[in-house]
Amino acid sequence: MTDLAQSLIDALALGGLYALIAIGVTLIYTVMGMMNFAQGEFIMLPAYALYVLAGLPFAIAVAAALATGIAIAVLAERVAFRPVRNADLSAQLVTSLAVATILQNLVSASVDARAQSVAAPELVSESSQVGALSIPNLEILTLALTAVILGGLGWLLYRTRTGLEMRAAAENFEMARLLGVRANRVVAIAFAISGALAATVGVLIVMQTGQVSPTMGLTPVLVGFIAVVIGGFGRISGAVVGGLVLGALSSLLGTYLPDGLIPFRDAIVFSLPVAILIVRPHGLLGAAAGEARI
Amino acid sequence: MSGRGLRSPASAATSLLVPLVLVALTAVIGATGTPSFEGTVTLVLCNLVVVLGLQVFIGNSGVYSFGQLGFAASGAYVAALLTMPAIFTVLQTPDLPKLIADAQLGPLLSTVIAAVASGLLAAVVGWPLMRTSTLAIPISTFAFLIVVYNVLANWDPVTGGSSGLVSIPTTTGVGSAAIWAGIAVVVALAFKWSAGGYRLQATREDEVAARSLGIGLMRERLVAFTISGVLCGVGGALAVHQSGTLSPKTFYFAASVTAITMLVVGGARSVFGAVVGTLAVATVNELLRNFEEGASVLGLVSVGETPGLAAIGLGLILLATMVLLPEGLSGGREASEIGPVRRRLRPPALPTSTADGAGDRPRPRAGSAASLRAEGIALAFSGLQVLRGVELELAPGEALGLIGPNGAGKTTLVNVFSGFQAPDSGSVLLDRVDATGWSPARLARAGLGRTFQAGLPFAGLSVMESVAVGAMGVGVGRRRAVEVAAEVLERLGLGEQAQSPAGLQPPGSQRLLGIARALATGPRYLLLDEPAAGLNDEECRELVPILRGVIADFGCGILLIEHDMNVVMDLCSRVQVLDDGETVVVGSPEEVQAHPAVVEAYLGTSYAAGAHA
Repeated sequence: MTDLAQSLIDALALGGLYALIAIGVTLIYTVMGMMNFAQGEFIMLPAYALYVLAGLPFAIAVAAALATGIAIAVLAERVAFRPVRNADLSAQLVTSLAVATILQNLVSASVDARAQSVAAPELVSESSQVGALSIPNLEILTLALTAVILGGLGWLLYRTRTGLEMRAAAENFEMARLLGVRANRVVAIAFAISGALAATVGVLIVMQTGQVSPTMGLTPVLVGFIAVVIGGFGRISGAVVGGLVLGALSSLLGTYLPDGLIPFRDAIVFSLPVAILIVRPHGLLGAAAGEARI
Repeated sequence: MSGRGLRSPASAATSLLVPLVLVALTAVIGATGTPSFEGTVTLVLCNLVVVLGLQVFIGNSGVYSFGQLGFAASGAYVAALLTMPAIFTVLQTPDLPKLIADAQLGPLLSTVIAAVASGLLAAVVGWPLMRTSTLAIPISTFAFLIVVYNVLANWDPVTGGSSGLVSIPTTTGVGSAAIWAGIAVVVALAFKWSAGGYRLQATREDEVAARSLGIGLMRERLVAFTISGVLCGVGGALAVHQSGTLSPKTFYFAASVTAITMLVVGGARSVFGAVVGTLAVATVNELLRNFEEGASVLGLVSVGETPGLAAIGLGLILLATMVLLPEGLSGGREASEIGPVRRRLRPPALPTSTADGAGDRPRPRAGSAASLRAEGIALAFSGLQVLRGVELELAPGEALGLIGPNGAGKTTLVNVFSGFQAPDSGSVLLDRVDATGWSPARLARAGLGRTFQAGLPFAGLSVMESVAVGAMGVGVGRRRAVEVAAEVLERLGLGEQAQSPAGLQPPGSQRLLGIARALATGPRYLLLDEPAAGLNDEECRELVPILRGVIADFGCGILLIEHDMNVVMDLCSRVQVLDDGETVVVGSPEEVQAHPAVVEAYLGTSYAAGAHA
C-alpha cells in the first residue's frame, strides 16, 4: 500500500514537471502556431546559469536562472521567430530547430560539450516523513510549484486584460490585431512566460540530476511536444493532462518494468503516445487539429 | 513548349543530367585530392544519398520528418554487422544471431540488404506514424529517432551499446559512393515525376483539394516514407563502410540537423536543390571544422580549438535560409526550371461552346435511374442548425442551380455530398448506393467531383500538372492522365498556359482550372461552388457556354452554387432555393423566379419586377 502510494506521488511529481514543460510549449503554439524546438534550450541555458553562479547563494542563482530563461526566450522571439511569424508550421519548426542548434553549440563552445556537475542545496536533496511515506523534498517542491504556476496562469489568462488579449490572439491572431490587440506585445509576453516556465523546469532538473549538459533540453522538449500532441494541440488543459499522463507513465514504468527492460523505458514511453494518436488523431482532449484554444 | 506533356524531353534531361554531373564532378575532385580529402568527399556523397532520401519524403509531402536519420542508423547497423568478420562480432556483439555474426558479406550485397531492411522498418513504423495528423508527424518522427537511439545505445549484446562498433571493413570508395548518389538522384526524380509523386505533391500544395481528387493522404505519404527509408538506409550503410566505426550518436540529432539543413538550404522541393544544398553546406561545414581544430585567419587572427563552431555555423545558415530564402538556393526548382521567372500569362480568349443550341438549358437524360441524392440531410454545428432535412436530386447531364442567401447552408451541403462533413442524420445516395460517411477520396473515385469557393490551387505545380494529378488521383496512370489533362485543358481553353505555374493564373483562369482539375477525375456529378466569383462581366457571360459544353462533352450532372443569377438562370434547367437550411422551392427558373417567397425573401422586388418586365 505504501509502495503504491509512494509510486503514485513519484508519478504525480514527474507528471507535474512534464506538465510545466508542455505548458511552455503550448503557450507559444497558441499565440503564434509554432512548435518551438528551442524550448529545450530555454530549459538548458538557465540550468547553466546555476552552474556558472555555483558559488553564490542559491536564491540569487535561481533568480539569475529565471532572468536568463525570460531573456533568452524574448530575445529568440525578437531576432529569429518574428521574421517567420507568418510562415507555415514547417518553416517555423525548422527555424526553431536552427535556434536550438545555435544555442546548444554556443554552450558547447563556450563551456564544454561534456556534462558538468552542479551541487543542489541540501534541503531539496533530503526527504520529508509524511505518515509512513518518505517523500523527497524535491517532489514536494515540484508539486507545489506546479500548483502555484497553474493557479497563476489561470488568473493571468482569465482575470487580466493581458490574458484576454492572449486568448483573443490564440483564437484569431489577425482579428485580434484588427481589434487593437498589440500583437508584438502579446507574443513577447507569451515568450517571457514560456521562458520563465522553462527556467523553472531547468532548475528542477538540475536539482534532480545534479548536472548540466548542452543537450539536456532534448528529451524535455520531446516530452513537451508529445504531451502537447496527446493532450490535444493548443490547450493548456490538454498540456497539463498530456504532461501528467506521460510523467505518470514514465514514472510507473520505471518502478514496475522488469529489470532487463528498464534501459528501454524511454523507448516505451515515447512509443505509446503514437498508439494514442492512432486511436485519437487529435489527442485526448483535442478538437480538430490546428484550432488553437487556451 | 507544347502543352501536351508534363515536361519536354529536353527539360527532363536537363533536370536529370545537371545533378548527375554535379555528383560526378564532386567525385572527380575528391579522387584527385589527398586520401583524407577523398575520404571527406566520399562521406559527403554518402550524406547526399541520405539527403535525397529526406527530399523524397519532405520535399514531396511538405511535412518535416525528424526521424529519417533513424533509417540511416538502421541501415548502418545492419550493413556493419553483416560485413564484420566473426572474430570481431563475437567480442563486440555476443548475443547477435549466429547467422548474422558469422556473415561476412561484400559491400554491394550488405548495402542492398541494409536498404531492404530500412525500407521494411520505414513501412512498419510509417504505417502508424502516417496516420497521425500533419501537425503530429514531425513530433512522432522525432520520437522515433529518440526511440532508435535509446534501443541502439542500450541493447549492448546486439548493437555494441553506447560505445558502438569498431573494426568495420572500410569498403566505400569515392567511386562507389558517387554511383549510389547517382542512383539516388534517379530514384528521387523518378518518384517525383511518378503518378504517386504527383499525388503526394498535390497534398503538399493543398490537402483538402487533393482529397477531393481521390488522393489518399496516408497512403501516398507512406509510400514516400518507405522509399525515403530505403535511400536513408543505403546512405547509412555506405557511410559506415567509409568511416569504419559506428555509434548510436553517428545518426542522431546532430546528423538530423545537418541533413535537414542541407535539404532546406538547397530547397526541399527539388532534387537539384538537395544536391546543391548538400554540396554547399558540406563545403562550409568543412571550412568551419578546420577552424574548430584551431587555425589562423590570414596569419593575423588565430582561433583556438572551439568545438561546436561548425554546428553554430550550420545553425546560423539554417536560420538565415529560413528568414531570407525560405525556398532555398534552388527556389524549389529543378535544374531545367532555373532562369528568369516565367511571365504571367494574359487570360486567354474563352472558347465558345460546341454544344448545339447555345440557348438550351441542359436537362436530365431521359430514362436514367442514376442520380446523386441527398435524403433528409440534417446537420448542426455546436447547436446551430445548418441543414434541416434537405432533399436534393441531381441527374447526370443536368444542371441544377442551388441558390439562397449567405448562410443558407449551400456550401455545407456540398461538403456533405463530397464527404468533407458527415451529416448528423440523413443519407447521401450515389447511384442508389448509400455513400454516407465515405471519405472525400472514395467519393471522388466513385465519380463525384467538386470545386472550392476559395479555389485552392496547387500553386507549386504547373497548370498541366495540377489537372493531370486530378486523373492520377482516381488511379489513372501517368501517361493516360497527361492525355486526359491535355484534352480537358484544350476543352476549357487553358491549353496555352499548360506549362505555367498554377499559382500565377489570373482569377478567370483560376476558376476554370479548378473545374478542369475536377473534370480530370472523370466525374459523373460535378459540384461547383461559386465558379463565377471573382470573374468580370465578360468572363461571367462566357462561363455559361463553357459549362454547357462541359455537360455536353463530359456528360456529367452539374450542381451549381452561384450568386450571379444570370449565370444560374441561363444554365440551369432546375433551380433549388435553400434558406436557413431548408428547401424553399424547387422548380424551373421561371417557377422559382415567380415564387412569392423567393421574390420577397431572396431575389428582392426589383429583380422580380425586372424579370417580368
